[in-house]
Amino acid sequence: MKKIIFSAVAVLVLGFMSACGGDDNTIEIGTQTYTDPKLMAHIVEGLIEDQTEYEVNITKDISASPQLITSIDQEELDIATLYSGEVYNNHFDEDEVEYSTDTEKTLTQAQQLFNEHFDFKWYDSLGFQNKYTIAIENEFAEANNIETISDLEPYAGELRFGTDGSWLERSNDGYRAFQEAYGFEFADARGLQIELMYEGVESDELDVITAYSVDPQILELDLKVLEDDKNFFPPYSASLVTRNNLLEDDPQIDEILSSLVGTIDEETMTQLIYEVDINERDEQEVAQEYLQEQGLIE
Amino acid sequence: MEVLMDYIEFWQERYPSILEYTWQHLFVSLVSVILGAVLAIPLGIYLTRIKSKAIKNITFNVTNIFQTIPTIALLALMIPLLGIGMKPAIVALFLYSLLPLLRNTFAGIQSVDPEVIESAKGIGYSPIQRLMQIEIPLAFPYIMSGLRITTVYIISWATIAAVIGAGGLGGMVIAGLGFNDKFLIFTGTIMAVIMALIADFLMGILEKKVAYK
Repeated sequence: MKKIIFSAVAVLVLGFMSACGGDDNTIEIGTQTYTDPKLMAHIVEGLIEDQTEYEVNITKDISASPQLITSIDQEELDIATLYSGEVYNNHFDEDEVEYSTDTEKTLTQAQQLFNEHFDFKWYDSLGFQNKYTIAIENEFAEANNIETISDLEPYAGELRFGTDGSWLERSNDGYRAFQEAYGFEFADARGLQIELMYEGVESDELDVITAYSVDPQILELDLKVLEDDKNFFPPYSASLVTRNNLLEDDPQIDEILSSLVGTIDEETMTQLIYEVDINERDEQEVAQEYLQEQGLIE
Repeated sequence: MEVLMDYIEFWQERYPSILEYTWQHLFVSLVSVILGAVLAIPLGIYLTRIKSKAIKNITFNVTNIFQTIPTIALLALMIPLLGIGMKPAIVALFLYSLLPLLRNTFAGIQSVDPEVIESAKGIGYSPIQRLMQIEIPLAFPYIMSGLRITTVYIISWATIAAVIGAGGLGGMVIAGLGFNDKFLIFTGTIMAVIMALIADFLMGILEKKVAYK
């Protein structure tokens, strides 16, 4: 009996170790909790499995981008979708990175700094951004003739505001900086999960939210994205990111990832996310369908 | 050393919001535990007074089930009923506090030696007098240890309430994870630890003071 238990434990331990070790034939992709990186992961998976011998394993719902960056650095993950504004998230010393809301400059800085300090290859933009925006209900906007964020000022004192977990504390592009740039604050500001933010609007517990620009709930809940007239929000252009050493080992991966640069615009991505978030379809199925429509796989 | 200076600067800059998060956390935790105690302690005593096994079983099983629902799931279940913010968080944490309080109260009262009760009866104590002057004082260490454990747990669990907009120290941790701010993560964590330790310490003092009277 003892022997059986011993060997069972040994098998389990060995199995666990090999599962963690990650063999050379598997490409590990990690995603954040939201839908666009998940779709990108399945798009990349579809192409890699179609064109190479590699197998792809996707780890979803990693709570924040900095954790993805650490994992890629430690070679636990290989590929992720990251956003250019990430470069301002405390990864580098203040004198190395210059805060800017310029799209080009932000992307170039991300590419350079992550290459220098992490030895990452940060590709050019996939073609869409997923940035913070301020959104309110269309009905309210029309009734009060609100087009820009500045137009909100007279009403702000009565508006309940909801945002994601980190925006309240972000330094360059968070709530504190927002108050300085626009000169007003909302009646009540609370951080919560993104899905709950939309539920809050739907159940009329929130009036203003920081919607992400590709969120299909903007269409679904009839929200209006206000014009950022003070040019406050930095760009978050989506790019695929991987380690340089992975590409040196296998140029085929580079070919595949490069081929996706500039191919998906915001409207297309919103449409794909709509299929998943609103029509509740499977992410992999939607990604597969997209690849077939584009003629990228059979 | 430089890190320490940076950290001090971080506090100087952020202390109003750190205090606000701490206050939200304290409020949510305390209200949950107090509500839990107000319901569970009398209920625990009541359960020692009734004969029906079925009622006891049902009560313990129901509170046991609350205890086993994963925190994040219970919070999510609260939202359709109570919306977002502090209300659903307090209700969820209140439900979690019931079992340990109930069990400890029940066990405490049960542990009182029946002979002591008999002699109290003999010298003419009324049921209320017996409860207030003999059973509760003798069961007090049990009840207090239930209260202490529950408070420490609830303070720790309250961190997760930030995902449903209740704020609190969990908000700092989640924000810190979101944009890689280690000070924010550290501060949220350490404040929750300190709060739990202080709460436990204060209740320890209270327990001694009352017990030796």
